[in-house]
Amino acid sequence: MPKRPPITNRVRELREAHGQISQSALGDAVGVTRQTIIAIEQGRYSPSLETSFRIARLFGVGLEDVFGWEGD
Amino acid sequence: MSFREKSAWVMAVVMAITGLLYIGLVHGASPDAPVMGPLLPYVLAVIALSVVVQVVLAVMSPREASAPMDEREKLVAAKAGQVSGVVLAVLVVLSGGVYVFLPHGNMLFHHLLGGLIVAQIVDYAVQIRLLRRGY
Repeated sequence: MPKRPPITNRVRELREAHGQISQSALGDAVGVTRQTIIAIEQGRYSPSLETSFRIARLFGVGLEDVFGWEGD
Repeated sequence: MSFREKSAWVMAVVMAITGLLYIGLVHGASPDAPVMGPLLPYVLAVIALSVVVQVVLAVMSPREASAPMDEREKLVAAKAGQVSGVVLAVLVVLSGGVYVFLPHGNMLFHHLLGGLIVAQIVDYAVQIRLLRRGY
């Protein structure tokens, strides 16, 4: 089982808070597939810095409002 | 299941089936027969089946089929290529080792092609695992 990245995120929460944007629509908006959005939300994949900024900008928040660091 | 994962599954099955076909053709032929005998039907079968399954997948998911790989899929493809490259290198060395003790050019060719087939199946298997369980 691959080790989970130590990065947490609030993507699902923000998606639901912004009018229930679908995973597919969010993926289209930031240039990744729906499966990648699912992997990000489940903490199985840490997106690139560019995609992280795109997600944060889409929701109109800062990067650290979307992503956090877990652990040391 | 994403388009890439479906594609990896069907291509792994295509490579496994055609690989078995190739083994059957090699076993059915004389050891000194030209390698083109089993090679030609194998290559034709791989091309034909690959085209058919990819067309079917593209018809089922035209939007995903035409979309380029995203950043995660590129990482998965790179990792799978890295693992399958190691597998191929090991199998090439083993084929060379067999040739040292059993110097037969045709068998060397078949072993190397077999190594290529196995490495390709490993590539698809790693892609499936990473796409399903996380990179």
